[in-house]
Amino acid sequence: MKRLIAVGTIFAYLGVLVAGLGSHALNYKTDAHPTMYFIVWDMFCGWSAYEDRTHIIGQGESGRYYDLAPAPWGDYRPFGDIERHHYDPFATHAGNLAMNTLRYSDHEPIQQIFVVQEAWAKKFNLPDELWAERYPEPKEPHSYFHVRKILGPNGMTQASNLAWFDHQSKLCLSDNPRLAADSNRGKPFLEMQSQVQVSDTGSRPTSHSQ
Amino acid sequence: MSDQHSPEVKRNSLTEFFFAEEVPYGMAVVRMLLPAVLLLVMVPRWFHARELFSLDGAPAPLADNYGYFDFLPVPSGPMAVALATLLVLTLLTSSLGWCTRLSLCVSLVLYTYLNLLDCLSTLTKYSAIAAHGLLILSISNCGSVWSIDGFLKRRSLRYDRPEEPDLLKPKRYAVWPRRLIQLMIGIVYLGSAFTKMHTPAFFSSDQMLHWLLTNVNNSNPVGEYLSYYPATLVVSAYITILWEVLFVFLAWRGWNRFFMIGLGVAFHLGTTFLLGLYIFPLVCFAIYASFIYEEDIQRFTAFCKRVEERGSRLVSKLRAIGKSIGRAIPEATPRQGSLAFGAVVLLATFGGVGVEYQLDPMGTRRVEGAWPLKELDPATVVPMLQQSERIRESDKYLSFSIGSDMLGNVLMDRKDVFHHGEPIVAQCTLNPPHEDMWIECNLHDGDGRILDRVGQVADRTMLRVSYAFVLRESLLPGQYFLVIRSGGQEITRRPLTLISR
Repeated sequence: MKRLIAVGTIFAYLGVLVAGLGSHALNYKTDAHPTMYFIVWDMFCGWSAYEDRTHIIGQGESGRYYDLAPAPWGDYRPFGDIERHHYDPFATHAGNLAMNTLRYSDHEPIQQIFVVQEAWAKKFNLPDELWAERYPEPKEPHSYFHVRKILGPNGMTQASNLAWFDHQSKLCLSDNPRLAADSNRGKPFLEMQSQVQVSDTGSRPTSHSQ
Repeated sequence: MSDQHSPEVKRNSLTEFFFAEEVPYGMAVVRMLLPAVLLLVMVPRWFHARELFSLDGAPAPLADNYGYFDFLPVPSGPMAVALATLLVLTLLTSSLGWCTRLSLCVSLVLYTYLNLLDCLSTLTKYSAIAAHGLLILSISNCGSVWSIDGFLKRRSLRYDRPEEPDLLKPKRYAVWPRRLIQLMIGIVYLGSAFTKMHTPAFFSSDQMLHWLLTNVNNSNPVGEYLSYYPATLVVSAYITILWEVLFVFLAWRGWNRFFMIGLGVAFHLGTTFLLGLYIFPLVCFAIYASFIYEEDIQRFTAFCKRVEERGSRLVSKLRAIGKSIGRAIPEATPRQGSLAFGAVVLLATFGGVGVEYQLDPMGTRRVEGAWPLKELDPATVVPMLQQSERIRESDKYLSFSIGSDMLGNVLMDRKDVFHHGEPIVAQCTLNPPHEDMWIECNLHDGDGRILDRVGQVADRTMLRVSYAFVLRESLLPGQYFLVIRSGGQEITRRPLTLISR
């Protein structure tokens, strides 16, 4: 009996691992369920030429702006020098983080919350001495800002934009006049919520990459 | 058909592979190391448990990203702190081997549950690997040796049944849990190899090059330095994928085992130095201990004995320390040990909740009142809220280098002195996204006069463009420049010196 249970356990466990491996190899339903995260081994699957950070900014009734992340009591830095809210590549949890800061802080009524993505070319991450060795031009980092989401005072999404990288990719594509014209012609008069945006995340880092 | 390939022989060798018996020393080492590594991350998280894992804070359930809202219940603040405290405690007792199976089962459930509640800063792929490790440890007999449980059991047997000294010898168990960990490691590496096969930029060095420049993990100065040598990344990419694919087939016995594990250690140490990862490699090193066989321990013990016989004080000292630790463990039967475990768990969990309440990490009971929000300067914020600007021309390129040889389509060497007739390769690496571009690489003389104008299209999918030049004797020795132009503006230039043969 004991042997039978052992054989069953071996088959079940290896079966699950092989199913995950097959799903990943064939790219079949890898996102079907949260438990797939435990059997799909896609470490460092994405990459980007731009480093990005997230700013969560609240605007009060007076028009003043407030920093909602990191929280005033200090934030957890899980994998290095940067705070937790920067590891949310899809801005899925930004509202929750903002509401948590607002819940435990003293502030005027907040009207809107902006989730802003900041991006800069990763070459500017090089330390100055390595930059000087590799580039004759002076190091002049430049950040791009992009409003990713606008949330209401209750943290609910009011407006949502593509991520900066996808937005810039779209701009690059729109340089093709024929493509831009076809795309504009193809836009529906009424937008159905049933549409699913399928985007290739293959060139963007995710927080689950380690 | 030869005997070796007969179904019976295959069945027997498969049975031998999974059900041969051994003293589970390897699994005991995994049990000691893996929870200890997880403590390195769970102890700092304990201070933030209320914020990361509870309704009183800002949990970030992984299931939300998959569209499964309310997949798991999110606990209240005190409950989350109690669970985090219990997890820290059971990881510690798992490592020590005290009520091992129960500790491991509790660790497995709590570790997985809390990880699933915070995909931003707790759950990573090493968490998933560690959860597999805890699962297999919890169904193994890893607590039978090198553990408090094993020690208490043997001590009790020594007193109760002194006439049966054979009972004191470590028990032997079927090897299959260790095989499952070993196979899990191999399958993880295979999966990782598939990821790389799905990523063409891995083989062209571009993916790794950008990860080396990324600052989302710990500091990685060696990685930043190595990003200048993409050819080494191309070579290491092929070695890595070969190792990942072959691991599950070769890592079992003999020199292959040492070679594959050695490469694994080198690979994971590489991720520390190049990418700034610390916990991931430690988790992998911990589960590599499943490749320690009983014979390895026997050989090591014999070696220590020989060293001790030759008068080594270190081994004698270590043995004395071991004995004094044994003496420090109070006289107790295994049953009394279990009762003490229950008492410690209760005391520590309630104590943990009380301590966290006093620490008040989010400042909810501050004398000064609630925290004020940090006000931002409108001059800083307003530009951030404007329409996104397009990428600058200079940001579309990553590097421009001159050399004479290429490997895997990347420049292998960098130089700025060339002889007449020597081939020159100028390579410009691009940052995606970029539109279809016309990129010129022009040859200028020392006074800035344009001598040759070479351009090519870099379509939106291209990550680098290369230009080949041969400077003949028609050009005088001296200084020249290669100038990259794009979008009607000069992006960068590199000097080169031409000398006659």
